[in-house]
Amino acid sequence: MTMDELRARIAAAGVTIPENRLSMVRKLLGDALAPLRTVDSRTIKTLEPAVTFEAAGPHVGVKS
Amino acid sequence: MNDTHYTTIAELGALYRKRTISPVEVTRAQLARIEKLDGALHAFVTLTPERALADARAAEELLKRGDDRPLLGVPVGHKDIYMTRGIRTTGGSALYADWVPDVESTVVSRLADAGTVMLGKLITHEFAFGLQFPGHKFQPARNPWNVAHIPGGSSSGSGAALASGMVHGATGSDTGGSIRGPAAFCGITGFKPTYGRCSRAGVLTLSWTLDHTGPMARTAEDCAYLLQGMAGHDAKDPASSARPVDDYVGALVGNVRGLRIGVPRNYFFDGIDPEIATAFEDALATLKTLGAEVRDLTIPAFDLARSFFLIMVSEAFAYHEKDLRTKPELYGDVLRERLLTGALVTASEYVQAQRVRMQTCAEVAEAMKTVDVLATPTTIAPATPFKVAYDPELAFPRSNMGPFNLTGQPTLALPCGFSKSGLPLGFQLSGRAFEETTVLRLGHAYQKATDWHTRRPPV
Repeated sequence: MTMDELRARIAAAGVTIPENRLSMVRKLLGDALAPLRTVDSRTIKTLEPAVTFEAAGPHVGVKS
Repeated sequence: MNDTHYTTIAELGALYRKRTISPVEVTRAQLARIEKLDGALHAFVTLTPERALADARAAEELLKRGDDRPLLGVPVGHKDIYMTRGIRTTGGSALYADWVPDVESTVVSRLADAGTVMLGKLITHEFAFGLQFPGHKFQPARNPWNVAHIPGGSSSGSGAALASGMVHGATGSDTGGSIRGPAAFCGITGFKPTYGRCSRAGVLTLSWTLDHTGPMARTAEDCAYLLQGMAGHDAKDPASSARPVDDYVGALVGNVRGLRIGVPRNYFFDGIDPEIATAFEDALATLKTLGAEVRDLTIPAFDLARSFFLIMVSEAFAYHEKDLRTKPELYGDVLRERLLTGALVTASEYVQAQRVRMQTCAEVAEAMKTVDVLATPTTIAPATPFKVAYDPELAFPRSNMGPFNLTGQPTLALPCGFSKSGLPLGFQLSGRAFEETTVLRLGHAYQKATDWHTRRPPV
């Protein structure tokens, strides 16, 4: 991640991060994003099913 | 009275029932030890001596009436992200420095009902995430094996208090290794149960989908006793499991012959300190002599585990956003910017990280069809010196523990040696979901065959 990309993200998020912490934040984000950039976003597993009907709580649309 | 600072929970119970000692005597001895040692170790953020003595007197009365519950009169401390009614809960942060909750966390309540003696609240890394840097409102705990080193975090006070014999049991929480890291760095035993096994109701949130609560002690057996008192369904925690609670203490008996242990050889050994690598292989050799079968595995998705940080920091920012935007000055230096990193993760990146997590869960589930337990080094280096930990550029080091927060598997961290410089080294055992009994039985068998967990720091 370049400093320019980092600064763009900071601006978009509307937060303030002091100059002396930018290097740390870039490392945090860069290290965590690196593995994601090695995977094919079309083929990794999806988050389905988003809704299940096995939980103990009330079931959406099911009469008790 | 003999020195009981390091007796196990089972031994303590036996002494109580033989009337050799009483809970009040032990509690007074523990308070004296805290008075003597904590000025240098800073494990406690709030001491509750009056509450402790009241708990001890109540336990004493129950013992006289023949009550034989195993946690009766056992002195414990609680990580200071567990809310305690009428007792301040700081989260290790200036933001909550004077906050006195009017509710009690489920786990604290359950352990109190089980008859434990509450000695006080144990310092945590700020909001279970950030080491207190110099100038912070609160002092960070120090490692009893060498006070120039951190005790690990975020359950730092719990690790330091157990290693120094100030408590017999403690609560911890683990979002990316906060129970297991202090266990490794302090030479104690910590257990992250299955996600959903122990309630998080009344515990300050770091990251909903990764947060676990669990016991910390000096042995696997003591962890079993504490977990027995902590575990169980709680309607106040949406992730809480309704599964029945197993008999963790009863499951400790029996051998481990034929148990299949898999060692994922990718990811966990990258950059490992040679002393930890050797201690880990020695631990495997011991497990083989006990009759376990050990085989190597490769679980490719573990190589993507660093994306774990995106989930944790996004959820942490979501939790803290309001306070970060309105009262940023109350957050510790460096922690504030770490949390703000969560604002920079895009929605797509968060989703992709969760998808990678699903991939990891699927691959591990497949591997767990061929083995009963995974064994890995808990950390790749011994306890970090403060002077290194205080470098913001250290950022968030690659973790051997985070992968098991992604999968939610029960994972026990226990000591397996010492470095030449005298710092503890550890390894971890991970079982299938809700198979806490298997992990505890294996850890207990290992500790019966070794003495690493009986070594004491020079305090």
